[in-house]
Amino acid sequence: MGAYVSIPTWWQQLDSRYRLVVGQCPDCEAFNFPPEGACATCASVAAFERIEPEGTGTIVAHTVIEGGAPPEFEALLEAEDAIGAVLVELDEGVRVPGMLTDCDPHEFARGDRVEAVVRKMFEQEGIVRYGAKFRPV
Amino acid sequence: MREVYLVGAGQSDFGSFPTESYRSLFKTAFEHALDSTDGELDRRRIDEAYIGTLGVGGRQLGLVGPSVTEHVGLDGTSCTRIENACAASGVALRQAILAIRAGAADTALAGGVEVMNDMSSDRTRFWLGVSGETEWERMAGTTFAGVYAQMADAHMGEHGTTREQLSHVAYKNHANGAKNPHAHLGFECSLEDAIEGTTVADPLNLYDCCPTSDGASAVLLASREVAEELTDNPIRVTGSGQASGRVGLFQRPTLTGIPATEKAAEQAYEEADCSPEDIDFAEVHDCFSIAELLAYEGLGFCEEGEAGPYIESGATMPDGERPVNLSGGLKSKGHPIGATGTGQVVEIYKQLRGEAGDRQVDGLSRGLTHNVGGSGGSVAVHVFEEGWA
Repeated sequence: MGAYVSIPTWWQQLDSRYRLVVGQCPDCEAFNFPPEGACATCASVAAFERIEPEGTGTIVAHTVIEGGAPPEFEALLEAEDAIGAVLVELDEGVRVPGMLTDCDPHEFARGDRVEAVVRKMFEQEGIVRYGAKFRPV
Repeated sequence: MREVYLVGAGQSDFGSFPTESYRSLFKTAFEHALDSTDGELDRRRIDEAYIGTLGVGGRQLGLVGPSVTEHVGLDGTSCTRIENACAASGVALRQAILAIRAGAADTALAGGVEVMNDMSSDRTRFWLGVSGETEWERMAGTTFAGVYAQMADAHMGEHGTTREQLSHVAYKNHANGAKNPHAHLGFECSLEDAIEGTTVADPLNLYDCCPTSDGASAVLLASREVAEELTDNPIRVTGSGQASGRVGLFQRPTLTGIPATEKAAEQAYEEADCSPEDIDFAEVHDCFSIAELLAYEGLGFCEEGEAGPYIESGATMPDGERPVNLSGGLKSKGHPIGATGTGQVVEIYKQLRGEAGDRQVDGLSRGLTHNVGGSGGSVAVHVFEEGWA
């Protein structure tokens, strides 16, 4: 039993899962992730303009998870001993949660530069879920 | 606005209890609450009941409120289940207060219950993460400890908070919890032990994290008329505040504070007509060490960024200017999710009545509870004071 996002919901979100598509508020111009709901800055509910960001950004919060991974990431934790879980502030100025890849997560810290790449996130119901992870620039 | 009084409070032991059920634990807490009143309160006088639970493990997910109240002889009494993650019963408490203020009830019950230790490891790890933001935060692999670890990382980076300052939370709360017979982890730990614990989510180690507990708690509230019948030593609920915040940390304006704590506290202080300096002692939500430090700042006990030096100064020790988590907090007393909010009130009740045994601190007259759901998606703050209005 893992955390659950249904396949239809995952598919609806593919632009943001793969390319981190963000929403720009037409009223205050702030960027929002994911691009749905009310603007986190001004609470406007006007429809966001969808923008594809460059995918580069800076780590603003960093942790390395060494125990207690949720079931869907257990295989990954066993294979790699540690999962780097970060918040990245994209260069457009919006924060997204992400996982580090292609690196030793212990060697990273706040302030380091990263870029998004598409990787396997986990497998559920016999279907591989892909999404954006972050690697060193 | 009608006055509201705290006339009874009780809890079960918090811990791991293979021979108990969510109903039997709740019964224990409820009977303790009834026994704790000064005069005799007939349980059939309870007009409204609010029960907080996350429903960990999925047991009775629907109608879990009436399931526990029927078990204690309240069949027929209006009962509502409250789910606001770890703030479930802090919010249940607020609902009970609002019911009395509104005149819909003269006597109200608020309580909570959770059983967290009777599941396989997979199931436990699934349920531990459900209070975080699921679709993005959790799907990026971030555990619940991981979210608080990110806040700790940001706080350390921005304010210079140290590893040792985080460990002071475990050291203090274990020392307090060792004196609490209801505590799940009622042992002392040295500062060195707390510093050197096994890493869970860097920079947080095992001693920075509260346990997962089974347990229940219950409090009884009354209008002034009912309170006058029951007691000559009243405790008044002077302030109630509640706020929501973005469920995902990444969507909040700050990583080093919990905006919902500030909003709920502001509301509670305004109602209680007091300021942070007037709070003699507090039970705050220390699910992770960093959470207690964030609470000091959000509640105004110290300036923003100063929580590390503040705890290091001893200000929140039992002999300090403002004792915090005399019960042992979530860290040592335990954290049965739905039972935590009203569990905090049990300590306030005991301390103000001089019934806290070995951990009693004298001279306290105004206490505060602070209960957080998720990593800050919901917060309830309450202020209690001795005496009639």
